[in-house]
Amino acid sequence: MDENKNNSVERERCPTGIDGLDNILNGGIPRGNTILFTGSCGTGKTTLSLEFLVHGALADENSLFISVTESSDKLTQNVIPYDFFEESLIKKGKLVFVDMPIIYERLGLTNVEFSLEDVDILVRAIGNLVDELSIKRLVIDSITSVCYRLKTEEKIREFILKIGKTLSTRGCTSMLISEISPSADRYSLYGVEEAIADGIVLMGNMERRGDLLRTLQVVKMRGTTHSRAKYVLDLTPAGVLLVPLLKGGGG
Amino acid sequence: MTDKTSIGIAELDRSLMNGVPKGYTILVTGAPGTGVELFAKQFAAAGIGSENVTYFSTTEGDEDVKKAMEEFGWEQDIRVVNIGKMYYEKVLAKNLEVSKYRQEGLKMRDILQFKMSQIDQTMDINFLTTLTYGISKLKPPFRIVLDSLDFFLEYYEEGDVLSAMRTIKAHTQLNEGIALVTMLKGVFSNRIESGVQDIVDVTIELERLREGSEFKRNILIRKVRNHPEKTKILSCVIDDKGISAKSL
Repeated sequence: MDENKNNSVERERCPTGIDGLDNILNGGIPRGNTILFTGSCGTGKTTLSLEFLVHGALADENSLFISVTESSDKLTQNVIPYDFFEESLIKKGKLVFVDMPIIYERLGLTNVEFSLEDVDILVRAIGNLVDELSIKRLVIDSITSVCYRLKTEEKIREFILKIGKTLSTRGCTSMLISEISPSADRYSLYGVEEAIADGIVLMGNMERRGDLLRTLQVVKMRGTTHSRAKYVLDLTPAGVLLVPLLKGGGG
Repeated sequence: MTDKTSIGIAELDRSLMNGVPKGYTILVTGAPGTGVELFAKQFAAAGIGSENVTYFSTTEGDEDVKKAMEEFGWEQDIRVVNIGKMYYEKVLAKNLEVSKYRQEGLKMRDILQFKMSQIDQTMDINFLTTLTYGISKLKPPFRIVLDSLDFFLEYYEEGDVLSAMRTIKAHTQLNEGIALVTMLKGVFSNRIESGVQDIVDVTIELERLREGSEFKRNILIRKVRNHPEKTKILSCVIDDKGISAKSL
């Protein structure tokens, strides 16, 4: 978006709170960026994004999780096992969960396919919520489920561009979760999302000596230099841990 | 099935088969202002006492139906199922709310007011199914008034409406009930009009013609199943006692 400026001036960072990832990104995600977190199922996308929000809420940044497929009641159960999670974050409204189906319902987005007007209305509604709740971190899980309702590349493009603009002008750093099949040769289901996002983090599974390892790789990140090496991701009660896949490999 | 029942208009009963055989489905059509709705209420009143009368209303409220009956001096001991009101509550009121949110945007409290479990409940309700289900539960002897079919034709596929009409007719026939359906004339395609006329046993059309400075009203018996000789035109008078007919 504003790459020229970024070369000279160091952009403010939004630390994810996940040490390994912040190291890769030289301090965190450039604030206001919209990042595509992409990977097949079971790679830890939701878990990582939840942790990003919990750390935000702990650092006094209001955080919003918009759940498209799973009910938010179930999701809140998922964050409770974390050592660093405090239930008061939800009570105080620092960490907010919203079910996208309720937004759809309220806005009358009940058609299988959204129109361009629907896209505008949806983006505006999300912008309204970000304003009202002073949200600084946002996760949409998953953007792929939204894209199913958009159908055409044109509308997906419109949606990602508009949501990115809406969020970045509000200084809101966002993770859009994208689901792809393990064999896909691109980073998003429709191929459009990846071209527009400010950053792409690829998460995957890798088999090694009979173990199925979770991996993470920052493929693209506007506004910062970063390692492009593959890391192994471990989900622990203390949060996500990242270690380089190849020790001593020239990342 | 020799039992007959009254349609509520003496001369019309005489012109038919000294009443209508039980199990019949009757269609009443006419342009606005010809008295179709009043006909429906007079028909409903004629069943009170001997039949369980259920009045499915798509435009008028329960009270409006009964008040109109009261004004003509008829009993009002009928059950009114207000499909129009149900439609308003489930669909139109929701559309109004949606248009507000689409225009003004969403607030967190609008989201919190809503639970995920409510979503399934607000899924599209098929009022055609509601209607046929409601009718299927009626116990004989029953008298059904559906005022009007126009509502369903406006919101549902014509094939589905015709299929519902067949279900209503079959249920009425099987249980020797009696049913009356109203439909505006000249609004829907010929295909629909003839489709509905084909299903019903009796078609009555109310007509209003201008003669100089007066209206002249007629009741046209357009179809009587298996009795084409009974089709005829009666002269019609509407006064404070309701609709009455005279042979021409």
